[in-house]
Formats: sequence, structure tokens, C-alpha cells
Amino acid sequence: MKLKTIISLGLWAGLCMGQSLQAQDLNIYSQREPFLIEPFLKAFTDQTGIKTKVLYSEKGLAQRLKSEGRNSPADVVLTVDIARLSVYDDMGLLSKTASATLEKNIPAHLRSPENTWFALSKRSRILATSKDRVGAAEITRIEDLADPKWKGRICTRPGSHVYNRALMASIIAHHGSEAAEEWAKGLVANLARKPQGNDRAQVKAIYEGVCDVALINSYYYGNMKFSEDAEQRAWADAMNIVFPNQEENDRGAHINVSGGGVAIHSKNKEAAIKLLEFLSEATSQKLYGEVNYEYPVNPAVLVDGELASWGTFKEDQLPIQKIADLSREAQMMIDRVGW
Amino acid sequence: MVTAVASYLRDFDLKSASVFLLGALLLCPIAALAVLALGDSEGIWPHLLSTVLGRYLANTAGLMVGVACLSLFFGVGAAWIVSRYQLGLSRWFDVVMLLPMACPAYLVAYAYTDVFEYAGPIQGALRQLMGWKTAQDYYFPEIRSMGGAIFVLSSVLYPYIYLLARTAFQKIPASFYEVAALSDRNVFWGVCLPLARPAIVAGLALVLMEVVSDFGTVEYFAVQTLTLGIFNLWIGMNSVIGAAQLATLTFGLIIFLLFLEFYARGDRRFNDTGRRHVPYDLKPVGRKKTTFLVILCLLPVAFGFLIPVSILFYNVVNAPVLTTFSDVLDSFGNSIFVSLVGAFVIMGSAIVMGSAAKMSHNKALQMIANLSAAGYAFPGTMLALGVLTCLSFADGLLERTSLYFAGTLWALFFAYLVRFQAVGYGAVSSGLTKIPMNLISCSRSLGMGPHQTARRVTLPLMRNALLAGCVLAFVDIMKELPMTLLLRPFDFDTLATYAYQFAHSELMDQAALPALIIICAGLIPVMLLNRLVQHQ
Repeated sequence: MKLKTIISLGLWAGLCMGQSLQAQDLNIYSQREPFLIEPFLKAFTDQTGIKTKVLYSEKGLAQRLKSEGRNSPADVVLTVDIARLSVYDDMGLLSKTASATLEKNIPAHLRSPENTWFALSKRSRILATSKDRVGAAEITRIEDLADPKWKGRICTRPGSHVYNRALMASIIAHHGSEAAEEWAKGLVANLARKPQGNDRAQVKAIYEGVCDVALINSYYYGNMKFSEDAEQRAWADAMNIVFPNQEENDRGAHINVSGGGVAIHSKNKEAAIKLLEFLSEATSQKLYGEVNYEYPVNPAVLVDGELASWGTFKEDQLPIQKIADLSREAQMMIDRVGW
Repeated sequence: MVTAVASYLRDFDLKSASVFLLGALLLCPIAALAVLALGDSEGIWPHLLSTVLGRYLANTAGLMVGVACLSLFFGVGAAWIVSRYQLGLSRWFDVVMLLPMACPAYLVAYAYTDVFEYAGPIQGALRQLMGWKTAQDYYFPEIRSMGGAIFVLSSVLYPYIYLLARTAFQKIPASFYEVAALSDRNVFWGVCLPLARPAIVAGLALVLMEVVSDFGTVEYFAVQTLTLGIFNLWIGMNSVIGAAQLATLTFGLIIFLLFLEFYARGDRRFNDTGRRHVPYDLKPVGRKKTTFLVILCLLPVAFGFLIPVSILFYNVVNAPVLTTFSDVLDSFGNSIFVSLVGAFVIMGSAIVMGSAAKMSHNKALQMIANLSAAGYAFPGTMLALGVLTCLSFADGLLERTSLYFAGTLWALFFAYLVRFQAVGYGAVSSGLTKIPMNLISCSRSLGMGPHQTARRVTLPLMRNALLAGCVLAFVDIMKELPMTLLLRPFDFDTLATYAYQFAHSELMDQAALPALIIICAGLIPVMLLNRLVQHQ
């Protein structure tokens, strides 16, 4: 009995100590997969000497942060999708950050009005079309996906995924609820199969001949094209990139962002801001392109290399906050049409 | 009411107090979710009712019925064959049949999709063979479907039923078989199945709760169940309250089912009070029939283990080495550590609660003990949310600036206990059901106290059941993903979370190695269990 008590007390003490030791490092709550942010953090540590610790979870991090309250060890929050960034902001989990560097590097429409969150990279939701079965200018607009001409030829991941929900929200913003719902109905009627898998799986379906047109995020193309896996390279080889809505008077392609902010109860705000600044500087901004084929948010950084070869495209200038605001309505619409 | 209070006061002692306390602790996260569900979900329900709720319910019910039928067929069928017939290899079978237990369902789903989808080798070979060109030329069952989900979940979950059914069948004495023969009743349907019912139902309850709370498989197969709906509400509509309400509804459904069985079982007793316990001699069968029976038994093992593991192995061998071995090794150590400690914590708590439910006459105590196992019916992430709320509340009380509970390993162990209490509890109660009350009464009347009786009579008699529970808990924690993901400390990976970051991005090549190691690490305790049982 005594031995047990001693062991458990020792365990307790050890675990608590482990907790308090974390205070000196920069603690990151991340909704991005660790293998994607590791190169950035390594470069950051090399440059500043500040060590980082990461907690990755795809779901529930905002709730964890909230219930931890002022005891939270988190310093920085990193996530993808504007609606998710807004969730942190709406729950009051992000601190207002005054940084001339961040304001210089990130255009106003890509950060929150109060400078609570900052977009750090961009991606566009694009159309992947079959090289063999779809002509060059056969489909040019997102709206075309609802055209009965494409019946049984379209693949997407489930509508309730954040990427599709954000796209849905942007369509509501541009066309109003009624027209947006008509569009969604048309899209669902055209689907070649039940929505499933991630964006990569949609390109695979094009390669397999299951469908001819798919909705994907731009970086998936780069990741597949340069994959170590020969199969994935073959999938990428079967598709063309179409940036939608590019015509003269059209609004441009829908974009979404990855981004982050400083946790409201961070005990290490200085280092936290340093990390965000580091991520917005030229080296990191280029790294986003190299690591994951994402576009820079910093206007001073030119797109080059592989990304440049995909061609330049016009971006939808809708303030991204609007997409977050319409997220709930978009999800309800997705439920109604069964996307 | 008055009598209830009186009986409560009469029975109240330190032991009941500790049971109540432990029960309250285990129910805290669920209560936290219930409190959350009381909030205002801002008109979500009319929307749900008019759009997706029917689909969620129908899909969940369909999945439950499908998995129940198939896993009962696999589990009870195999347990019966192994217990009844002389196959020459029955010791070996007991290990083999449990192998799928080590496989996380979502990884099996990934593996099967790789092989059975349109681009996979099976359909590819078929197309080449038959000269088909496109998907429209022929019919092939879609793996990403309700049927696929039923198949995958049954294939990996049936061992829960097998394990408990097999133990129950083994305990049936030869005299019962003789009586069945004399009275011209079917041995299986008339005698053994009814006798094994508590054990089989305990196994089935675990399976169904796993099914209801499964997220990985149904998400990958795009089967819109209640759990998927909970996440659509939470993440999609940013309505934690709505999600908590839907989770509570789901939970109510499970509790309802358990109560149905509880009442259907009524006051029947399932133990043998006969003095002469002669085990049944296995029935010899001819060579042809043996082959047939062996194949029948091996079928579910092939579905739940051999095929998916071969696919993963193929992936590991043929993929470029992308995984860092030191990371895998770290995660391996962490996995073993949390699973081992977690399993012991769970069994300790299960013994306390299980014996309270069985031995005490206090209805309130029994109720608390039964309810304490309810965490299993919640989707992991929702339960993690409840755990988080509780721990943060405790931390708030402690008034410290650095975290005390949340974000430490304590949070993980607590979460595992709340979630997997049912696994240990099920094992303990089915073990206790098999012990005749008169043995205990006898021990007490010979002057042994309750503790001595527990140590010298009850616990040794329950050894197999306890070991089974321990192994199930160990393997369950080993595979556990959503709670570990959300509640773990910084830079703490288990094999499951490590594999997930790749599997989530559908990068099977990188996920295959840690996935294989999860399975192998889960095999060790399964083998161990079998040896211990055999040696008795």
C-alpha cells in the first residue's frame, strides 16, 4: 500500500512538473497536420532560438482552448479555413495583435479588422477537368457545375466539408440564397457518385473515368504532381487545372486561407507574434509554395516556380469574413439539398 | 420512496460512499454534456427535423441492425463451432479468432477501399479479364457504402462477441448437453444459446456502442449516421449546443436498448449450482466437415485481419520509406504506456463498480454502477469535450496559473476510464453472473469477511473474465483516436494519432507502418490472454 502511494505521488509530481516546464517554449495549437508545419517551425527555431511545441487536432481545439481559459498553455493558434479562424475570434480566444510587420506583410482584407487573426497562405478552389474527356473552354465557371449538360459527370467531397461549405457561402454572398440553393440542387443532380473522400480522391476518380469534372483545392494538384507515389503522379497527369470565373466581368476564383493568431491568454505573446511575423515574411511565404503549393498572402512575394507555371488568375475579392458569416446558412443549405 | 431512503441509509457505509463517489466522477463528463445540451441551439431542431435527422436515424439504425446480425453470426457461430467440435486446433483457434480485435476499424476501411474501389487491383483485374472499359459496363458493390461499413465494422468488432460467448459456452457442463439430448431439444438453440445470452448480449452491447460512436469508418464511407451529424452540427454550423443535444439523443437511444435487454432478461439466473461440473467432451467430426468448419471459422478472421493486414504490409513494403523510425518508436512507447496504465485503472474501477452492482441490494447504487459505463455510447470527441469541461472546472477550483489536470496525461487516463469503463464493467459483471451466489454465501458463513471472500473466492473464479476485460481495455486504448487527439499533452503522439495525420490526408503509404505496429502491439496482449486462459 505504501509503495503504491509513493509511486502514484511520484507519477503525479512528474506529470505536473512536465506541465510547468512547458512555460518557456512556444506552444502551438494547430489544426494543420504536423508534417506540414514542421519545416516552418524548424526554420523559426533555427533563426530565433525559440523552441516550439505542437498540439495537433483536427477537431475541438477551440473548445479545448476555451475551457482551459486563462490556464491555457497555448500561445499561437494555427488553422485552415476562414470559418474556423472566425470561430476562434467569435469565442474571444484570440488576442489583438499590434505589429507593424504583420500589417505591412498582410493586406487588410486578409486579416481581421481588429487584427486578431491573420491569413498566412492562400489557396483557390478550382475545377479539375479530365484531359481526355473535357475540352479546353468547355467549363469556365463554378455556376456551370449546375448545368444539366454535366449530368453524371461531376465528383466532389461531401458538401459539409469546410472547403465546400466556404464555396457555398461565397455563392450565397454573390447570388443570394435562392439562386445559390438552385445551384446546389443542380450540382447535386449532376454528381456521378455519392460525395466521398478528400480532394485527392476526386482527381483519382477522374483518372479512373468515374467522372469528368471535380472540385479541388489548388495545392492538391501540386502535391499529386510531385508525389513520391507514381500512382498519384498519374492521377495528376489525367487532369487540367481550370481557375473558374476568370472572364472579363466575372468575379474571379473563390479563395480560402490558412492562418493564425495569438492566443488570448498566452504567457509568451512576444514570441507568439514573432512566429506570426516570421510566417508572413518572404522566406516563409515562399516556403508555403514549396512545401504545400499554397499561394503567398504577402503581396511583395512573387509567385514563382511550379505555382507560376499554373498561370496567374483573378481572385474573388469578396471579403473573406463574409464567408465565415454565411457559414451556418451554407451548411443548412447543404443539408437541405443533400450534398 | 420512504422505504428507498431507509434502505439507502441502512446500507450506507464507506464502500457505498466510494462507489457513489467513483460513479459520480465517471458521470461528470456526461453530465457536463447534458448541461451543455440544455442551452439554446438557436432553432437548429426544426431544420434538422425537416432535412437530415430522418436520414441520420435511418442510417444509424440500419448500420446497427446490419452489424448486429453479421457480427453475431461471425462471433457466436465461431464460438459455437470451436466449443462444440473437435477440430484438433481449438487452442490455436482461440488466439486466431481474436486477431481482428487489434485492428482499428477506420484503418481497415482505408485498406479495403484501396483494394475494392474502382481503381483497386480487384476491379482492375476484372476489367482486364472481361474486357470491360468503364464503370458503366458492369456491376461491382461499392465499398464506400452502408454495406461496406457493415462489413468492415462487423469484421473487426465480432471478437467482442466471440470472446464472451466462447467463455460462456465453455462453462456449460456436460450434464446440460445430456439433458438436451434426453429431452430431444436442440443443444444450441434450446440450451447453450439461452445460457450464454448474458455474455452474448454484453458483447453485442459493446459492439453496438462502438458502432454508434464510430466516426472514422462512417466518415470515410460517407454513411450519414447520427455521429456524423453531430460533427456537422458542431463543426459545420458551429453549434456545440446542437451537437451536445444530438449526442444526448443518441445516448438516450443506447440506454433505451440496454434497458430493453435488462428487462427482457428479468430475474432469470444463468449460473450452474450443480456440484458436479464435468466439462463437455468435444464432438468428433469427419475430415470433410472439419475442413468446412475450419474455413467457416477462418472467414471472419480473413475479413477482419488477414486481408487488411496483408494490404497494409504490401503498402509498407512497396512504398518509399517516408516514416521516421524514431518518431514511430516514441509513439510506440507512449501507446504501450497509456494503454497499460489505462487498462489497470479501468479494471480497478470496474471491479469496484461491478461488485457493487451485483452484491449490493441498494437499487440506487446498482443504478449508478450501471450508468457509470455509459461513456462508451458517446462519440469519443464529444466525450472528450465533456472531460475537458470537467477538468477545466477542477483546474479553475485549484486556482493555479499553470494547468493542473487538463492537458496532462491525467486528462487522458480519466478520459479512457470514462469511455472504456463499459469494457471492464461488462467483463466483471458477466464474470460475476457465472459465480453461484451460494459459493459467496458459503465463504461468508465460514467466517471470511467480504474482502477475504473477494480475494480468495470471487476474484480467482473471475480471473479469466478479468483478464479478458483487461486485454479488451488495453487494445481499445491502443486504437483510440479522437479523445487522445484532443486531450493529449504537447508533442505527445500515440501510434494512433501518429498514423492519423497521414491517414487523414489519405496518404496510406505513410500511415501503413504505424498502423501495422498498432496491430502488432495489440496482438501481444491477445496472445498473452490466450496463454493464461489455457494454463488454468
